[in-house]
Amino acid sequence: MTWPKAYGGGGRSFLERYVVTEELLAAGAPVGCHWIADRQSGPLLLKFGTEAQKQAFLPGIISGESFYSIGMSEPDTGSDLASIRTSAVQVPGGWCLNGSKIWTSNAHLNHYMVTLVRTAPATENRHEGMSQFIVPIQADGVTVRGIDNLAGEQDFNQIFFDDVFIPDDHVVGEPGNGWAQVMSELAYERSGPERFLSAFRVLAEFGKSLQNGATESQARLYGQLVAHLVVLRRMSISIASLLEQGLMPDTEAALIKDLGNSYERLVPEVVRLYLPGEVPKGLAQALEECVLHAPSFTLRGGTREILRGMIARGLGLR
Amino acid sequence: MNEEQQLIGEMARRMLDDHCGPAVVDAAEQGDYPSALWTLLVDNGLTTLGIDEALGGAGGTFGDALVVLREAGRKAAPLPLAETLLAGQLLSSLEQRLPTGPMCFVQGDVSLNESGQLQGSVHGVKFARHCQTLLVAARRGEDPVICHIPAATVAVTQGKDLAGEPSDDLDLFVQVQPQACFDIDEAKLDAVLVWGAAMRSVMMAGALEEALGATVGYALERKQFGKAIAKFQAIQQQLAVFATQVAASTRAAETLMVQSEIASIDVAIAKARIGEAAGICAEIAHQVHGAIGYTRDHRLNHLTRRLWAWRDAFGNEAYWQERLGRTLLVEDSGDLWQQITALG
Repeated sequence: MTWPKAYGGGGRSFLERYVVTEELLAAGAPVGCHWIADRQSGPLLLKFGTEAQKQAFLPGIISGESFYSIGMSEPDTGSDLASIRTSAVQVPGGWCLNGSKIWTSNAHLNHYMVTLVRTAPATENRHEGMSQFIVPIQADGVTVRGIDNLAGEQDFNQIFFDDVFIPDDHVVGEPGNGWAQVMSELAYERSGPERFLSAFRVLAEFGKSLQNGATESQARLYGQLVAHLVVLRRMSISIASLLEQGLMPDTEAALIKDLGNSYERLVPEVVRLYLPGEVPKGLAQALEECVLHAPSFTLRGGTREILRGMIARGLGLR
Repeated sequence: MNEEQQLIGEMARRMLDDHCGPAVVDAAEQGDYPSALWTLLVDNGLTTLGIDEALGGAGGTFGDALVVLREAGRKAAPLPLAETLLAGQLLSSLEQRLPTGPMCFVQGDVSLNESGQLQGSVHGVKFARHCQTLLVAARRGEDPVICHIPAATVAVTQGKDLAGEPSDDLDLFVQVQPQACFDIDEAKLDAVLVWGAAMRSVMMAGALEEALGATVGYALERKQFGKAIAKFQAIQQQLAVFATQVAASTRAAETLMVQSEIASIDVAIAKARIGEAAGICAEIAHQVHGAIGYTRDHRLNHLTRRLWAWRDAFGNEAYWQERLGRTLLVEDSGDLWQQITALG
C-alpha cells in the first residue's frame, strides 16, 4: 500500500496501511504468507535495492504472487545475530552460499528469503562483513525441512544451503552493509499491531461471553485488558507516524513490542481464571490456541530479554 | 500536544524547577506552605486555566490545565492546584464567576435542610486548611446541590494523607444563602469524579516520568562490585520494564490533554492504566534505589508516596476497570474491535 505507484504500489501512507493490517489481524485473516514481504522485505528493497531489483521483485509482491521469508536466525545463532555462520564466497558472476537458517516461518510455501550472510571473515568489529542476499527458495542446493511447533503445526522450518549460486544482482545494497540493513528492518518488524493483537480473539470472545451479565471481577478484568489494548494501539499508531516521517524509532519499537508481547502473554493467563460458568465454544477454542502459541509471542522478532536490553541502551544504561 | 500547550508546559516546568525543589516539598510537609509559589502560579493564570475569561478564568482548555498538572505532578508541588482547578471547572460549568483564592470540592455525608443549614462531616479533604472557598456537594432531601461557602465558616481538624499532604476533616454547621446553592443533577457529580480522575492521572504520569529519570540517574551513579549498578543486566531489565510502563502512562495522559471535550471513557482508560503503572514503577524505583530510597531524606518518596495516594483518589484501578468493562459490555455494539477503533 505504501510503495511508490511507479512499481505498482498504492502510494499510500503508513497510517493507511496500519488500519488495513490491524483490521486483517483483528478479523483473524490468513495473512501469514504475504506479511513478511509487505512489512519488511519490500521496504528493504525500496530503501537499499537497485533499480533493477525493484523492477524485478516488487511487482510480484504487489500482485500478491511472491512470498518472502526472513533469513536471520541459525541453529547456533538466535539473539546473538552477529554470530551467524552462513557464509558466501565470491565466484565468477556472483556468490557461492553455504550454511543454514532456522525458525523460518512458511519457508515451505514462500518463494524468496532475504538472507543475512557472512561475506567476509569476522574482524574485531563483528558487525562488519555481512551482506543480504535474495535467495530463491527453489534454487539448486536449497533444501527446506519442516519443524512442527508445540501446537502441532508446521509453521517454521530449517533451510539448508549447499553451494547455492547467488548472482550478483541478488545482493541487496552494498556487500558488507548487511548489518545496518538488517537493523533497519527491525523498527518495521517490532512496532506493528501484530505485536499486541495475538490474543485479541480471546478478549473479544471473552467480551461476547459476558454480554448477558458479568460479575464484578469479570467486568473489571475485561476493562483492564481493554484499557491496556487501547493504550498499546495508540502507542503503536504513534510509531507508524514516526516511520511515516522516515525516522527509525528503534527504542520506541522495542518498547512497544515488549509491552505488547507481555500483554499478549497476560491475556490468556488471566481470562482463564474468570471464565463464565458455561464456556462458549468460540472462547474455549481461542483460549486453547492462544495458550499454545503464547510461548512464541515473547521470542519471535527479538526475545523479551534482548528487547529490554535495547530499551536499557535507549535509557543510556549501556 | 499542540504548540501552545508545549509553551504552557514549558512555562510551568520552568517555574516549578526554580521554585519547587525538594526542600520546598519537605518544608511544606513540615507545615511551611509555599504561598509565594502559589502567588506566582496565580499571577501567571495557571490556577484558572481551562475556565472562560468571562467567568474570571485564564481561558484555554481543560487539556491545558492537565498539561500544567502533569508538571505539578513531576515536581510533587505541595499546593492545592488540582483542587482549585477542579472547583473552578465545577463553578464554570454552573456558569458562576470564580472567586479569588484557592478552592476545593468537598463531598461526603452532608445535608442541606429546609432552613438553609448545611450540616455534616467530611473526612480527608485535600488542602482544605489552605482554601478560601469550599464547594460542598450536599443533599437537599434526595436531591444533589452544590453550596459555595467561605472556608472560614467550617471547623477544620488537620490531618495528612499518604503523600504527606494536608488532608483535613471538616465539621460543617453553616447557614448558607439561597443564592450560594445550586441544584445539580447526578451527572454533574459524576463529571467532577471524571475531572478529578483525569487530573490525578496526568499528575501520576508526570511523577512517573520524573521517577524514571531519577532512578536511571541513580543507577548510573551508584557503584557496587566495582561498577555502576546500571551495568548489571538484572537492573537494566527492571528499568526497561519501568520505561515501558512510563511510556504507556504518558500516552494515556496525553490523550486527555489533547481532547477539546474530556471523554469519560478515556479518563477511565487513563486512570486504570496509569494507576496500574504507578504501583509497578514505584516498586522498581525503590528496589533500584535500595535502602537510601527508603529514607525520608531522599526525594524519591516525594514522588512514590504521591503515586500511592493518587492512584487511590477519584476511583482506584478496580473502580475504573469495572466501569470501563461495564460501559463496553452494555453498549449496543457488541463488536469490541469497532469499539476500540472508534476510541482512536
